[in-house]
Parts: sequence; structure tokens; C-alpha cells
Amino acid sequence: MLKIFESVLALVEMELRRLKHDPIEIITRAIQPILWVTVFGIVMARRVALGVQDYVSFIAPGVVFQSATFMALAYGIMMVFERESGVLKKLLSSPIPRANIVIGRSLAGAVRASTQYIIVLASAALVGAKFTSNPLLLIAGYFAVIYVCTGFTAISILAASLMKTRERFMGIVGAISMPLFFASNALYPIDIMPEALKIFALFNPLTYAVDILRKLVLYSELDIYIDLLALTIFNILSLTIAIKELNKIIE
Amino acid sequence: MVLGMLAIEVRDLVKVYSGGVVALNGVNLDVEEGVSHAILGPNGAGKTTLIRIITTQIKPTKGSVKVFGFDVVSQGSSVRGFIGYVPQEMSLWTELTGYENALIYAKIYGVESSRRAEVIEDVLEFMGLKEAEKRLVKTYSGGMIRRLEIAIALMCRPKLLILDEPTIGLDPRARMLVWERLLAYKKEFGTTIFFATHYMDEADKYADKVSLIDRGRIVAEGTSSELKKIYGVDKIVLRVVGDMEKARKILSEFSFDVSINNNGEISMVVKEPTTMLPKVIEYLYSMGIAVLEARVVEASLDDVFIKLTGKGISEEEERERIKDILSTRRMIRRGG
Repeated sequence: MLKIFESVLALVEMELRRLKHDPIEIITRAIQPILWVTVFGIVMARRVALGVQDYVSFIAPGVVFQSATFMALAYGIMMVFERESGVLKKLLSSPIPRANIVIGRSLAGAVRASTQYIIVLASAALVGAKFTSNPLLLIAGYFAVIYVCTGFTAISILAASLMKTRERFMGIVGAISMPLFFASNALYPIDIMPEALKIFALFNPLTYAVDILRKLVLYSELDIYIDLLALTIFNILSLTIAIKELNKIIE
Repeated sequence: MVLGMLAIEVRDLVKVYSGGVVALNGVNLDVEEGVSHAILGPNGAGKTTLIRIITTQIKPTKGSVKVFGFDVVSQGSSVRGFIGYVPQEMSLWTELTGYENALIYAKIYGVESSRRAEVIEDVLEFMGLKEAEKRLVKTYSGGMIRRLEIAIALMCRPKLLILDEPTIGLDPRARMLVWERLLAYKKEFGTTIFFATHYMDEADKYADKVSLIDRGRIVAEGTSSELKKIYGVDKIVLRVVGDMEKARKILSEFSFDVSINNNGEISMVVKEPTTMLPKVIEYLYSMGIAVLEARVVEASLDDVFIKLTGKGISEEEERERIKDILSTRRMIRRGG
């Protein structure tokens, strides 16, 4: 059992080592969410709109996921590159189960994306956002980000398997990431949405992701079972389909 | 069921890609255990497709492939346990160091943690990369990249090593170094090596057995000298003083194929050139034609290929392809 998991961890380790040698992406990816929190958040907070008391704190978890899921969704570009290079061929002919390639890379992408959690929360705190001071809840929040981003990275790998070229891949990532963000509770509560959008938001995994994080780091609540269930269904579905479609990437 | 004798057994293999392209059209091939076996053919002949099926990456349309008796489709995971594989393109993470690449692959290939450090050290040492192990792969030369990939493929002591164009784009010195190490390893561990190449001389020098592939079919098979003996032609090339046309006529008595080359040389196809040469010179002399220069040109695999398929490997095409691969590599090193 441990042996089977070893290859998954090896792929995560590969990602961490890449990150160590070249952390530039984390910094460039952080610019946008920092602006969301510090500029958009503060300006909107002045209006005391949306029935939300502390708007900067309110959107911080949303912006964490906006940034992290975007990174996760973009991760599949690596698979497109590796399809053109020989890495993927090499992995496919190695003794590890093919499922582990997808699970390992999904987890690797999630770990990479989870760096946004720290950056966004820290920059929001700097401009006055208030989060829980319970370290266990903060750590739980971090793991929630990794968990959620695993599913989104799997979606990204699926997109890479189906799209195959960089241009088409980037196109599809752009097409899904912004609607996901706006049609969720990241920037405003679901209650104030028009009915149609509300329904979409209820099927949007990002809604549950943001909800979990808000409960954990903002309200110090542990009533997250429904969110966890929704996200687990999302992860199982996205991983299963990505595993099933992996063969298409090299045909 | 073949017991242990054949490393690879390919029967009536057909591969049609989804676009309708027939990549393999009834391939039969036996690779014996412990030999170095080359599959030689031009661009697009089906070499890479064959290798991708043997390494269980893609499924055959028809026919069967067995590796040490295990079917690549139904027993793929057993097959993957036997093989070390170096794809034609680069299979490394360029933003990691050489050592880190080896470490990650060691974990993926399940090299036990207690032996890992030693195994990595051994293969890097063996391929002459110990000094460069801490450098990022994107700073490596083409030859170093290849040697690292081979080192990584050797970590799990494969019974069968499969290499797709192992020295494409490398300069002659780097090519020699790669092969010297490969053959040393084969000698030490009795590993079977199956490699695809479009370099005639590489197949000639480094393969115990050669299969020629063209348009998805094996067109001939044997040791390099067998192939040359059966299909190749030896030639005598002469430079003479005087009437070339007359010389050509005289020489036609010795050979069915005499031609005058553009550079003023006469070349003639003969069975045993070394014993024929003195007779030819003597006869020409007696007919009043002096020979200035004479040499024997032995058959090459290139001649064999031309004879069998009516074409050689176009050099122009090859140059284009190498350019492509080098630019892909550069791109990968910069970005991916």
C-alpha cells in the first residue's frame, strides 16, 4: 500500500523541487489576487455593500481560490509540454499504475497552487482582514485548499488530454476559470444573486470550496460536512474521468 | 508460448491510427534475449509506433506483441516491470538537477529506499555524469541529456532496454560515448538492447542483428554482414587514362553493371572485388588502357536499403528532422 503511494509522493516531490529551483510563478501569480484583496476589496468595503460587514475578510477566501484554482487549472499545460517531450511516454511505460500518474500530478499541482493560500491571507491581513488565530484551523484551511485544487488540477489534466495543443488548452482554461469565479460566492453571498446564477453557483465546486474556507478561517466553524461531501464528489468525478481519458493524450 | 528465449515476439502487428494512417502493416519480429537488435528505417517507417506498442503506451489494432512471454495488452504491468525505455524526445524535467531527476525516477520505478542512493550514484558514475549531477538539466548538452536518460533507464536493471533513436542530433564523439557505455553495460549484465535508428552506420556497428523496416513492414532481417552479403553489392572503382567509353565496354565483360560517374570514375559491380581487381587492371592494360587509381567499395547497409526499397534515406529530410528535434529540445529547455 505504501509502495503504491510512493510514486504519487514522488511526483509531488518533483513539483516541490521544481518550485524550489524556480519560484517565479508563485510571485507572478500572486500579483493579481493581492490586487483583488487590497484594491478591489478595500474600494468595495467603503460602500459597505452586499450585506457583508467586513468585506476584505469576506473576499479573502474567495480570492485564495480564484488564484489557486487558476493555477491548478493551468497546471495541465505541463502535461501538454510533457506530451511533446518524452516525459509522459516514459511515465506511461513505467511500472506505476496509470491512475497514480493522474493522482500524483493532481496532488502536485494542488500543492503548487496552495502557495496562494499563504500569500493571499497574509496580504489581506496586512490591509486589515481578520482571520482566526487558531493555528489548527489555519492548517485545516491549508489542507482544504490542497484538497480542492486536486480536483481542479485533475480537470486541467483532463483538458490537456482532450485538447492536446497549448493554444487550445489555454483557450479552454480561460473559458472556464473566470465564469467559475464570478458564478460562485467568492465575491458576494449567494443570497443576493439572481435565481439562474444561484442555481449555477450551487453546482459550482468553487462555492463549496470558498464556503469551507470561510467557515474555517473566518468564522471558526466546523460545520463543513455538506461542503466536504460536495467537494469529495467533485474530486472523485474529476479524478476518475481524468484517469479514464489519460490514454487519449498520447494517441 | 515461447519460454524465456525471446525478449520480444511480434506477430502480424497492425496499427492504424484514428486518422486512418496505417503505421504498421503486418510486422513480424523476433528479438532474442541478450542481443543488441536494431530496427532501421527512414522517417515515418513505423519504428516509433512499434516501440510505443512494445512499451505498452498504445494498443495494437491487430496482432500481438509479447515481451519475455508476457502480452503487452493483457499483461502490460508485468511488461513494464521488465523494460527500461528511453524515448526519442527528452524525458527529463529540465528545471531539476541531474541527480534530482534520477531520484524522482528511482522512486517512481520503485527502487528500494535503502539501495536508492547507491544505485543512483552507480548509474551516474557509469554514464560519466557524477560531476554534473548538481547542475540543472537545462544546462546539459545533448549528449549529457542522453546519457542521463540512459542512466535513469538502467537504475532498475531492466532485462530489456528499449531506445528510440538514442543518438539523434548528437555529434559523432557524443554518439560514440553513448554507445561505448551502452555496450559496456550490455556486456556486464547481459541486457537485451532493442533500438530504433535511421543511422545506417549505427545499426552496422552496434547491432548484433538488424531488421529493416519500410512503410510499416519488415523488409529484411539478419546480421549486418548477412544483409550485405545477400542484398548488398561490392564495387570496384577505377580512374583510367584514355578512352573511358572503351574502358566501359571492356569492363562490361566482367560485370553486368558498369557506369561512368560524374567525377570521371568508372564503377563496376562485382562479386569478389579483391580477387577481381588485379585481373581487371591487367586486362585493361593488355587492351591499352592504363589504370591510374583503383579502390574497392564494400557494400553498406545503405545499399541494402536502396536495393530493397528503391530509395535511401534522404539526407535533406534527415537534416530537416534533426533541426526539428533540436529546436523542440531547445524549446523544452527554455520553457516547459
